[in-house]
Amino acid sequence: MSKQWMFDEKADFLAKLRELVDGGVDPHDLETMTPFPVHEADHILHTRTSRLRFFTLAGTLTGLIAGFAFTIFTVMDWPLITGGKPLISLPPFLVIAFELTILLGGILSFVGFLALARLPSVKNVLQPPKEYGNRFVIQQRGEE
Amino acid sequence: MSSLKGTFDQLERDVLAAMAKPKKSFWLALAVSSLMFAVGMGCWGWQIYKGLGVAGITNPVGWGVYITDFVFWVGIAHSGTLISAVLFLFRAKFRNSFNRTAEAMTIFAVMTAGLFPLIHLGRCWLFYWLFPYPNQRLLWVNFRSPLVWDVFAVSTYFTVSLIFWYVGMVPDLAIVRRYTTGVKQWIFRIFSLGWRGTRYQWEHYGKLYMFLAALATPLVISVHSVVSWDFAMSVVPGWHTTIFAPYFVAGAIFSGTAMVITLVVPMRRIFNLETYITVSHFESLAKILLFTSMIVTYSYIVEYVLAFYSGHEFEIAHFLYRSFGDYKYLYWLMLLCNSLLPLTIFVKKLRRNLTYLFILSLFVNVGMWLERFVIIVSSLAKDYDPYAWGTYTPTLIEAGITLGSFGMFFTFFLLFTKYLPVLSITEIKEISE
Amino acid sequence: MQRREFLKLMGIVSGGAVLSSCGEDPHKKLISHVVPREGEVPGMAALYPSTCTECGAGCGIWVRVRERNPFKLEGMPGHPINDGALCIRGQASLSRLLHPDRITAPRRRTNTGDYQDVSWEQAMADVEQALSESGGRQVYLAGRTTGSLAALIDEFCRTRSFDRAPEVERFNHEAIRFAGDALFGRKSVPQYHLAEADVLVSLGADLLETFVSPVNFARQFAAALEKEQRWYHLEPHFSLTGNRASRRLVIRPDSEPYLLAWLLRAVPARRDLPAAVAAAVPAVTAEAAARQTGLPVTVIEELRDALRASSNPLLLAGGVALAGNNGRLTAVLAALLQWSLDMVGRTVDYERHENYETVGGAADFAGLVDALSDKQIGVLLISRLYHLDHVPSLRDALCGARFRVGLTDFMYPPYDGCDVILPLSHSLESWDDVEPRHGVISLIKPVFRPLHDTLSEGDILLQMMNNGLNYRTYLARRWGTIGRELLDQGWVIRDTEETTPTLQAGAPPPVITIQEPPADKTLVVVPSLRTFDGRSRVLTLLHEIPDPIATITYGNWVTLSVADADTLGITDGQELDIRTSGAGLRLPVKTHPQLAAGRVMVHTDQLDGLALPRDASSGEPLGILPIDSWQATGTRIDVPILSGSFTGAVGRGILPHDKPHHGPAHGGDDHATEHPPATLYPPKEYSRYRWALAIDLDRCIGCSACVAACYIENNVAIVGPDEHRIGREMAWLRIEPHLSRDGRMFFIPVMCQHCENAPCEAVCPVYATYHGSEGLNQQVYNRCVGTRYCANNCPYKVRRFNWFDHEWPSPLNLMLNPDVSVRPKGVMEKCTFCIQRIRQGKDHAKDQGRQVKDGEFTTACAQSCPTGAITFGNLLDRSSRIYALAQSPRAYRLLEGIGTEPAVYYLSKKRENA
Repeated sequence: MSKQWMFDEKADFLAKLRELVDGGVDPHDLETMTPFPVHEADHILHTRTSRLRFFTLAGTLTGLIAGFAFTIFTVMDWPLITGGKPLISLPPFLVIAFELTILLGGILSFVGFLALARLPSVKNVLQPPKEYGNRFVIQQRGEE
Repeated sequence: MSSLKGTFDQLERDVLAAMAKPKKSFWLALAVSSLMFAVGMGCWGWQIYKGLGVAGITNPVGWGVYITDFVFWVGIAHSGTLISAVLFLFRAKFRNSFNRTAEAMTIFAVMTAGLFPLIHLGRCWLFYWLFPYPNQRLLWVNFRSPLVWDVFAVSTYFTVSLIFWYVGMVPDLAIVRRYTTGVKQWIFRIFSLGWRGTRYQWEHYGKLYMFLAALATPLVISVHSVVSWDFAMSVVPGWHTTIFAPYFVAGAIFSGTAMVITLVVPMRRIFNLETYITVSHFESLAKILLFTSMIVTYSYIVEYVLAFYSGHEFEIAHFLYRSFGDYKYLYWLMLLCNSLLPLTIFVKKLRRNLTYLFILSLFVNVGMWLERFVIIVSSLAKDYDPYAWGTYTPTLIEAGITLGSFGMFFTFFLLFTKYLPVLSITEIKEISE
Repeated sequence: MQRREFLKLMGIVSGGAVLSSCGEDPHKKLISHVVPREGEVPGMAALYPSTCTECGAGCGIWVRVRERNPFKLEGMPGHPINDGALCIRGQASLSRLLHPDRITAPRRRTNTGDYQDVSWEQAMADVEQALSESGGRQVYLAGRTTGSLAALIDEFCRTRSFDRAPEVERFNHEAIRFAGDALFGRKSVPQYHLAEADVLVSLGADLLETFVSPVNFARQFAAALEKEQRWYHLEPHFSLTGNRASRRLVIRPDSEPYLLAWLLRAVPARRDLPAAVAAAVPAVTAEAAARQTGLPVTVIEELRDALRASSNPLLLAGGVALAGNNGRLTAVLAALLQWSLDMVGRTVDYERHENYETVGGAADFAGLVDALSDKQIGVLLISRLYHLDHVPSLRDALCGARFRVGLTDFMYPPYDGCDVILPLSHSLESWDDVEPRHGVISLIKPVFRPLHDTLSEGDILLQMMNNGLNYRTYLARRWGTIGRELLDQGWVIRDTEETTPTLQAGAPPPVITIQEPPADKTLVVVPSLRTFDGRSRVLTLLHEIPDPIATITYGNWVTLSVADADTLGITDGQELDIRTSGAGLRLPVKTHPQLAAGRVMVHTDQLDGLALPRDASSGEPLGILPIDSWQATGTRIDVPILSGSFTGAVGRGILPHDKPHHGPAHGGDDHATEHPPATLYPPKEYSRYRWALAIDLDRCIGCSACVAACYIENNVAIVGPDEHRIGREMAWLRIEPHLSRDGRMFFIPVMCQHCENAPCEAVCPVYATYHGSEGLNQQVYNRCVGTRYCANNCPYKVRRFNWFDHEWPSPLNLMLNPDVSVRPKGVMEKCTFCIQRIRQGKDHAKDQGRQVKDGEFTTACAQSCPTGAITFGNLLDRSSRIYALAQSPRAYRLLEGIGTEPAVYYLSKKRENA
């Protein structure tokens, strides 16, 4: 049986949350819904740091390596001398690699976010659940 | 005593009031900006048909109004990211009331800017050759060219800014869907991705936002540095200087902040958002304006000092030409708008006067457009070989396309104000308690 | 489709092609014949010998022909007149053949004054009818004619009872011929052997621009450079010739007799003058000569000493020096000096004189003018006239003839009102010969059948003589035994029966008093390098290429000194109103730093109808006119001036040995090959070829022949004055006039420098430009997207962008070089070192299994240069001329301090201030 508490004030919401956790409720059974992120709730629920950072790291590293690899490959594939500069011109390639680092870092972070937050939630789009508006909500999953 | 929820509900109603049925003045403004946009597109079509010769660019001034517009619009875009990302990292709370508008401004400015590399191409129907895609003829692009860096930088900037803006908007779109019905609600449901505001969603969201802000910060600096290197990587006197990257980045933030003021002062009045965007917010923006203006002024001084100290004949000749040659009126007007007028922000009464700030921001925008024009045109007009010296006069086509770019920007912006929440409701909630 | 259908279709198409290639106009097809003519390989150019007829100098040319279309004219190496070079007008003359405005068919004038096209039968019938009804005299009035055509015209006039009028020529050198007649009994223009002279003194004659045989003189000048000839040129104005001389002396206009009279007495005579003659020469002291001419005494004494010490001197006067009231006197005094210093028979050659005997002076037409005014002329036949403004009485009297037949290629003003126009074929469509100099015969051979419904003059005359011959046969008969040599070689030198003249003992010069030269401001009328006497105005290419002195392309102007412009408060492009001899001239002004104050230069063909006063004794139009008053009108006329500044180049590393102060510390050493600039990168290696160009600025006269050659060779577009006004000329190669620190004018030909560290290559986003393995900066037209960053980054600004699509109105499109692509709008172009020629040359060498030899082929610009100033070659070939030139202590490169490492070397002697 699941239980639900709704609050209009953030302080009340936090007090209840603390009470529940101190009362021995497993934090994994508790779900909150708030109009904005409430960091104190994270503390109370002893949550693990988001794993998003691995996506970001993967993205930026891929971008960096791909930037240099791609540019060096193209220049070896079609070696043309321009302006007397050496074929493998690292300063310009660094610019490209830098941009790709940011680009792939951003894209992969976004993809990671969608994955981790389980969005888009097709179920919720098609059949929107109850809206709580600006209330702070705690839901406890009960055992069935 | 009003509850937090009550405050928030009021906030939502106030912001979303702007998205109600539009008044006649909105339609009029939209019509005007759409007309400007259409004029610009018509001029561009004519230019494609006839050839680039219908513009005023020539030998030796091969770049003119189009590249000025390009740098101008990219510059404007930068302030949005500064406000969204950089100020976020600095935990500057005052950003929250206008960062949505600023980010929107970034997106639309980048889109507008992105058209100009196409417009100024001699064979713009082959623009895709600037992208390194695998092709049957086994051709690649020249990564040593600053124009290719531009392609990567501006595409990256657009993509990351779009992601950042969109991600920031998801919770707000979820709010809007509560207030809409029918088709509109379907659209907002889809674009809010079924967002519920659960704790794990907020957690990942917060991390994403922070990483994006952290990625966007070096991006801001790099993109306008890359754009400035379109000039600095050449041998043209007046362009070939290492100061360009920080100089242009500061200038970009300067012009972008001015554009934010230009947009937000009227928007605040029209949509009655005085409670949320206060005079103190504008005062902070004005301080940024002043600070970047001083950096830009310092850069002007350094350019001259470097030229004369270096003893480099061509640099000295160029800077004398810039201040006293064919474009001297534009140059001195630019100095007035960029270096002198912003100094008035030191006066507290002036910087808390929104009308004054609005007018000042218009001057700054003009001044910054002139700065790019003066740098580009005066450097090319007289460089190494006296036989090749010439001048450049823009034509109506170029004016039309510039007008069209403003039309495009304002059309998008007006549509944004009507169909999307202009304030970042969620972030304002975050700081309101 | 099915294979059977495909084969059927191919069969029909090829059969149709064979059938259609018989008798149809070959110019309608890209490849004119499926089965080519014998000896012709489709894709390979054939060379046809001929002679340029754009002016009367008679330079021999090779016509490069591909698939029946001529697309380039080149000088014929070894030809006695031009030895392989061709001037700007010669290069452009190809466009005369293909000019869209040429008269394409005979015309008959209708009652309303319009012209309608008729057939040759009709036109000739009309002429015959007019001749039979004529009832008056019949006169043949032509421009200067030499060779077989002159003989044919004589025969025609005898057979058909025509009077042969003197020939019409604007530059008739009347004064020179008068002096020759009066003193030596030879009414001709002698041949001047410039190259053999150790001291050359020229007064006024623009030897390198339009005077008699400019390409020949340019060739001789180049040869004389080897011998360190001292060349003094005296002129009141500024010309390319004067600029090129060792010493240019600015003399007061029309004051030459003072100097010559003094020299006659000051320089010891080597051959005696008859006492009467010697006494008749005015006594002029050195001080008087100096005062009148405006030259310092030291300078005129230097002239005297040079002539005194010379072993084989040459002194000549012509052009502007003979254009004042003292013209005839100057010519006579100069001829006396030539005799006195034993030049006659040596450097002044009357045996192999230039063929001007039949050309008339203004006075010679008096009889004809009277006859015309008295309506005594029944039929007037005019041929090859361009204008008659220099004989206005004749011009106005032409309508007095009852019937006028006009032979011409364009409707020049004298043909207005002609009853029948018979269109002439161009020399490239005709058989003919010319004899520009006595004893030198040059072949004219057609490249193809006439493009339009035209005939050559010889054929027209033979038709009217009704003897069934065509001109080709007539020529063959006339040539006789020399025909074989003429056809093989393109020219023949025949023995002359003429002898060296002697001074006629009883011949005191008729005019001996020196008239006072103009006191103050003078208008100096000068010939035009680009249009000669105005006849080449119809060629648009010659308007597209700027006049090297003013760098103005389209329009008319006057040249003014800087001092006078300041006094008048007038700047470039503003209109000046000049009043002279009761008439006026209003033209925009161009200032020139080398023009002396008090002189206004105007071109002969830009006088805009100004009636020139006449010389009292000869009747010739004067060219030195006192200006009564002048003032700025305040109107600004947007003249297309291509140069941004003549004076801004000092200290920029553009002028010879004139580096910017901040440049790398090389001391006085400008060797490009020692002390290379500091670089981060390893030196480039070249394996077989490394192409480079050397330009000798001590030889370049600024004549722009190279520019015209480049335009035609590379299909460079003509864009017109509107585009020029904003700076969009398409010239790949241009002549830049720059004033040096010590006040000398340098004409620097600038083209793509093919830099090793090319700033343009690094910034192209799509690799449309890159560095080839042989040192060339390659431009790939079909890859270019048109960002124009390369043009911005080029410090030499040699890259040209196609702002619009360009048209070559038919039939000019036949002139397009098939080896060079025509660029569409949006694409960048520039000098390629004639890569099409390099390719062909290398292919040819490869077929023979060897390297390219030095001089085997060259760029179009180098090939056309009359002084041989441009040299092209392979720097890796140590025995090549280019290698030697690049090592010369005279060599430097433009803007070396930037570090572009150009492949074009400029050579100029280092001078102490002189």
